Amino acid sequence: MSMNDLIPAIKKVLEEVDVVLGWTRSPAAGVAVPARFHTPDEADGAIFDSTCIHNLAVHLPRLKNSKVGIVAKGCDARSIVQLIVEGEVSRDRIRVIGVPCPGVIDVKRAWRCYGFGKKIEDAGGRVHMEGRSVPREEILLHKCHQCRDQEPVIVDLAAGDVTSMTPPPPPDKSGIRERFAAMSITERREFWREQFSRCIRCYACREACPLCFCRDVCSMQTREPHWTGGQVNAIESEMAQQVRISHMAGRCTGCEECERACPVGIPLMLLLEEQNKIIEELFAYRAGASLEDKPPLLTYDINRDGGWR
Amino acid sequence: MRFIAEDAIPRLLEHLAGGGRTVWAPRVVRDSVNTVLFAPWSAGEPVETGAYTHLSAKAALLPPTERLFGFGYLQAAGEERIELEPEEPEESPVLFGARVCDARALAALDALFFPASGGFNDPGYAGRRSGLTVITLACTTCDSACFCSSFGKGPAETDGSDLILYPVANGFLAEPVTDAGSELVRLDLFQDSRLEKPELAVTARVETAGLREKFIDLFSDIDLWRQVSEKCLSCGFCAYACPACHCFNIFDEMSGDREGERCRSWDSCMFYSYTLETSGHNPRPEIAHRYRNRIGHKFSYFPANRGEILCTGCGRCIRGCPAGVDIREVIRTVQER
Ligand code: SF4
Ligand code: SF4
Ligand code: SF4
Ligand code: SF4
Repeated sequence: MSMNDLIPAIKKVLEEVDVVLGWTRSPAAGVAVPARFHTPDEADGAIFDSTCIHNLAVHLPRLKNSKVGIVAKGCDARSIVQLIVEGEVSRDRIRVIGVPCPGVIDVKRAWRCYGFGKKIEDAGGRVHMEGRSVPREEILLHKCHQCRDQEPVIVDLAAGDVTSMTPPPPPDKSGIRERFAAMSITERREFWREQFSRCIRCYACREACPLCFCRDVCSMQTREPHWTGGQVNAIESEMAQQVRISHMAGRCTGCEECERACPVGIPLMLLLEEQNKIIEELFAYRAGASLEDKPPLLTYDINRDGGWR
Repeated sequence: MRFIAEDAIPRLLEHLAGGGRTVWAPRVVRDSVNTVLFAPWSAGEPVETGAYTHLSAKAALLPPTERLFGFGYLQAAGEERIELEPEEPEESPVLFGARVCDARALAALDALFFPASGGFNDPGYAGRRSGLTVITLACTTCDSACFCSSFGKGPAETDGSDLILYPVANGFLAEPVTDAGSELVRLDLFQDSRLEKPELAVTARVETAGLREKFIDLFSDIDLWRQVSEKCLSCGFCAYACPACHCFNIFDEMSGDREGERCRSWDSCMFYSYTLETSGHNPRPEIAHRYRNRIGHKFSYFPANRGEILCTGCGRCIRGCPAGVDIREVIRTVQER
């Protein structure tokens, strides 16, 4: 795909909607940043490349009163579908522009390893950062390695040829997944105690998550219900996060936005991936995989399933 | 000037920690991808002197949660009394490896919390601040998020530091700023040196002159604030990473129903709950209202009330914003109106 396909697609969709959510290039950082396009002129600044890491679906529930177009990678499309399935977003007020995704670069990891703001060039199977270069598969986001969703499940207009790519094998660069899998339950307890001891309760994880819709009345923060204390310490912070994560059961699409947003690098995806795996095994359900599927934990019927005992 | 070798730094930290003081230093977090944070240091642990920290050093003075006092309900002679258990004052810590942008933010925090600088008497803050020692690492390089050159002397600023360490080959040149700093360089960990001070970094700049009044003029232009905050997700990261942001929330946590503790925790004006009133009314319902406050407090109200800008150009909010919001672009957009 080139911008030759994307920009006209956005302009076309703009004829029907108030705003299109997409990406433009950050003048300071050189990578993609989210942008809103209201006019054809603004749309000339649209880009799509492998630094388009953000999941723009997070803005849809916040734009309830507008008709919205959205540029979506395959994984983003799953979040959109899940929002529709849950009734958070209505199908008729959105237009999805599907883009063919080559797998996105873990920009946060790249910058934390090689220096913030280093120019990122993705060419010839390698990612170049001002003199350094690493094989592409070493610096892709983890989810891209297992991607089963290159083809968006919901598309109104495809910008270019939305075809599949072969996901490279899943390496584990930090080794953390393997080490975590090998830990005993006691070691895991210790591990999470240490991880959450540096949580600052900024709730960036929650705000970046397209499916976390309680937001302003989230139990991580409210006094009513008062499920977690307001102290910022390992125990309360973990409790707050565990509540959030269990509320994501059968809803999380594994988009990795929460982990990307976390400023102190807590590997939240270890918990979510585990939970997503269990949900898929138990209910044969992948959140956002189809507009027809019913989320297993939203189908409880008080009459049929026996009511509260 | 005096010089300290790179490999003498652990001994310097041991000396500083000798009197039982907590030494905060930049450390790479275990099991993370190069997350660098200030944390209390203990002997034998490595210190990171080359990288930026992803959060500022303010936690050393304003902890994310501070216990203000404990309380309990007592029955005595048929009457119920409330017993308070005050917190013991903490000893002043040492802050090693702060950057100029951390050190100079102290002036803003002092203006609010430290009576010696005209602030209120905040016992927790003032207790930690009164004997604080700040050893700053001067910046010879910077990245594209840094913009401290926009303020005062930029990377050459000495405000807030006791001792400044300039990186040179195999170690640091040490320039004392205060008496506490002069005393440190007399330690025999330091030697005389004829080396020249290195060139300091030159960062990006934004123009903040006139912003104080400009902001007031543009306060009611809600479309402008919607435009500049359209990417923002309304999390607490930028305030929590910032060396100058200092808002807090006070609350009681009970253990059982007879005793508890009163605490304060960091709070952010970007949260909906920050201004939510008991009636259910919220004067800042939209992200745009909240982001406007973020800019107004930093560049207009606080300068008007306390004489300090609440930004030192450290760039942390830019590096870590999950939505790619760049406060410099916001300032430019506002200035161009
Ligand atoms: S983003 Fe990270 S630090 Fe912030 S609340 Fe979530 S887990 Fe804690
Ligand atoms: S919990 Fe994390 S991975 Fe799951 S949908 Fe939300 S942001 Fe994405
Ligand atoms: S500007 Fe960025 S860091 Fe700050 S509240 Fe908005 S999304 Fe969070
Ligand atoms: S507003 Fe941003 S750049 Fe300014 S001091 Fe705070 S974190 Fe640093």
